[in-house]
Amino acid sequence: MPVQGIRTVSAARNGVGAFILQCKRIDFHYCDWAGSSRGMVGYLKHRLESFAKENPQIEIRVSPRPQKHPVVKGHYINGREKAICVRNLDLQQIAQKVNLLKEASGEKLKRTKKPVTSMNESVRGIWSPYHGGLKTV
Amino acid sequence: MKRLQLLRWSSSALSPGFRTGSRLQRNVYAGLRHQSSASPALQAENESVTEEQPPGQPIRKLSPEEQRLHLPSPPIKAARESAKLAALHGRLYLPSRLPLETLARTLVDPSADPNPNFNNESLAILGHDLMTYYTSEHLLCTYPRLPLTVVFAAMFAYVGPKTLAAMTREWGVEYAAAPGGEVDPGLLQFKRMAPGTNLNTDTAISTTRPNPDRKSWRHSLSSRIVYDDEFGDITTESNTAVRGATPDQASASFVRAVMGAIYLHAGRPAAKRFFEQHFLSRHLNITELFNFSQPARDLSRLCAREDFEPPVARIISETGRKSRHPVFVVGIFSGKDKLGEGAGGSLMEARSKAAVAALKGWYLYSPLEVRVPSSTEENGAAPWKPVHVDLGEVIV
Amino acid sequence: MVTAISSLKRPFLALPFLLPSLSECAAFEFRRNQSSYRRTKQRLRVKPDASFGPSLNQFEDHIIYNPPSSTPSIYHTPTKFLPPDDIRRSLSTDASKNQDNTDGLPTVFKKPAEKKYHLTPSDIEEIRRLRLNDPMTWSRWKLAKRFDCSPMFIGMVCEASPEKKEIQKQVLEAVQSRWGRKRRMAREDRQLRKENWGRD
Repeated sequence: MPVQGIRTVSAARNGVGAFILQCKRIDFHYCDWAGSSRGMVGYLKHRLESFAKENPQIEIRVSPRPQKHPVVKGHYINGREKAICVRNLDLQQIAQKVNLLKEASGEKLKRTKKPVTSMNESVRGIWSPYHGGLKTV
Repeated sequence: MKRLQLLRWSSSALSPGFRTGSRLQRNVYAGLRHQSSASPALQAENESVTEEQPPGQPIRKLSPEEQRLHLPSPPIKAARESAKLAALHGRLYLPSRLPLETLARTLVDPSADPNPNFNNESLAILGHDLMTYYTSEHLLCTYPRLPLTVVFAAMFAYVGPKTLAAMTREWGVEYAAAPGGEVDPGLLQFKRMAPGTNLNTDTAISTTRPNPDRKSWRHSLSSRIVYDDEFGDITTESNTAVRGATPDQASASFVRAVMGAIYLHAGRPAAKRFFEQHFLSRHLNITELFNFSQPARDLSRLCAREDFEPPVARIISETGRKSRHPVFVVGIFSGKDKLGEGAGGSLMEARSKAAVAALKGWYLYSPLEVRVPSSTEENGAAPWKPVHVDLGEVIV
Repeated sequence: MVTAISSLKRPFLALPFLLPSLSECAAFEFRRNQSSYRRTKQRLRVKPDASFGPSLNQFEDHIIYNPPSSTPSIYHTPTKFLPPDDIRRSLSTDASKNQDNTDGLPTVFKKPAEKKYHLTPSDIEEIRRLRLNDPMTWSRWKLAKRFDCSPMFIGMVCEASPEKKEIQKQVLEAVQSRWGRKRRMAREDRQLRKENWGRD
């Protein structure tokens, strides 16, 4: 057989065609009694419904966690999770934290050194010393 | 398209029936099934009903929670209560005309629920045919000269079972530990295979291929087009209801069923858009799918077939050939035109790589305006103009 | 060229490294490190190639063909491979296919084989007879010499007898049995590398 095919798997490029939000679940834990949960209870009462309506792609779970500080926990598609303790934070600050969890990719934070990373090969190709016009210096 | 069974899927998919009492009764008499729930959300409500019933007790009226325990897959009304399912619907931006009940049905593998009215088999058949049709027309119109083995490999890379399993993970779908009526319908439900099961016992579906029992006989490429499936494999059928399914098989049938469900509920344009956004947008480097055994010979056959001058390998440049690691840059020329070039540590290697580059240059020709046949299906589309059809690959 | 430019900018005596004899006779404490940052920078300041700038004598709009210094892309179909109705056939400029000294390039093989087609059916019968009756004397190479063709052609015309194949196999095994670990691994690696040429 002159040529054979090599079987591979195509790689996903999230956001090139469809975009899948990486945060799949957010857990809200609160305490009814403790003062550090005051902002959290307010958030659950007044903000959570609109947040859930705006983000139908996130599963939301609310559960009490008595005698503990309130926690917001994001679960991501890559299997990792991020937990933020929101004790003594007010409503606005909690909304910011929840938004942070929603927009996170779930990956560990790392410094990006290049402005663009791409799977596509570069237009000019990889530089080779044996090609192109040789310049005399 | 093969295996399109219009009556079957249209009747079973569009009118979701209700579970008959006889089936439930049969389950009850056959023996009570108590499963650990895989869903944390529903666990609390089910805790009260998990105590064992003595077998000699007369049948009493079962509460709805108890009835659920005897079902092989979640009931239809559970779909509206599942947060996971709604989140999955939102995450995939599925059309609102696709109800949650159908989405829940796509998550039930035939190995979990053998009843064709409640599993995703019919939807998966439809979705599979749509996906392979769209992929193959895309490949054939974009790269009209692609050899058939590479077409098979590219089909496998776009819509093969491994890719579909990866997509299921990327969509954030979780597997249920075991299927059952009490499980959250947002989890992928399938019966897992027992450890140590032999995977190679799949029986081939009877095709018209002559001498199907001769396994050692060579399957020519032409016969693979006619008799085998779209990846060039022998079509097999595994008895998943008895033996269970692998997570890859269940994920593949789920993704196919989603495609079929979109087609049925939202129509052809939505299905095509879904395909383009989720499948064609994936990255695949077609140049890496080739494996030539004798590229120089193939190239000279190609040039003889196309009436080009015979290819000649010429050294374009080299570093000192007596040195420890010389580099040769060899180009392959047909008359005055350069067909390809390659660099290598020896003259033979460079020539071989140059021949590979020239052959890929031939096979990867792509017309400027690519239009696929299914684009004429829309209303008001321009009439179909024939695309470039090639003679075919080089046959030595 | 760089040295010429820099020598114009400043007097020669300010650059002691250009004059080895002068710098050597200078006192040790006055000698400075040659590889200072500024000097390296100055030496690397090379004028861009003339083809990058606007050409002064031509005032027509045209495409500047300046291929990158990299191997050509696989996706770029050669003009010869384009079908006759493809529009890119007419678009390709003279510059892109300007291989002015194609014929001057040396070929990979010593001489391109020209085909003579001089053997008759009776010759081929003779080749077959010789190879079948006395395979030890009449090897492919010797037959090719005698009939003035390539060993490849001999292989296409006839096949060695099974006994000869068996003998040759034993010879090969005898040779390979004397290989040590290093040589065997090297041969195997070479074979694996060779297989990778085709999936480049």
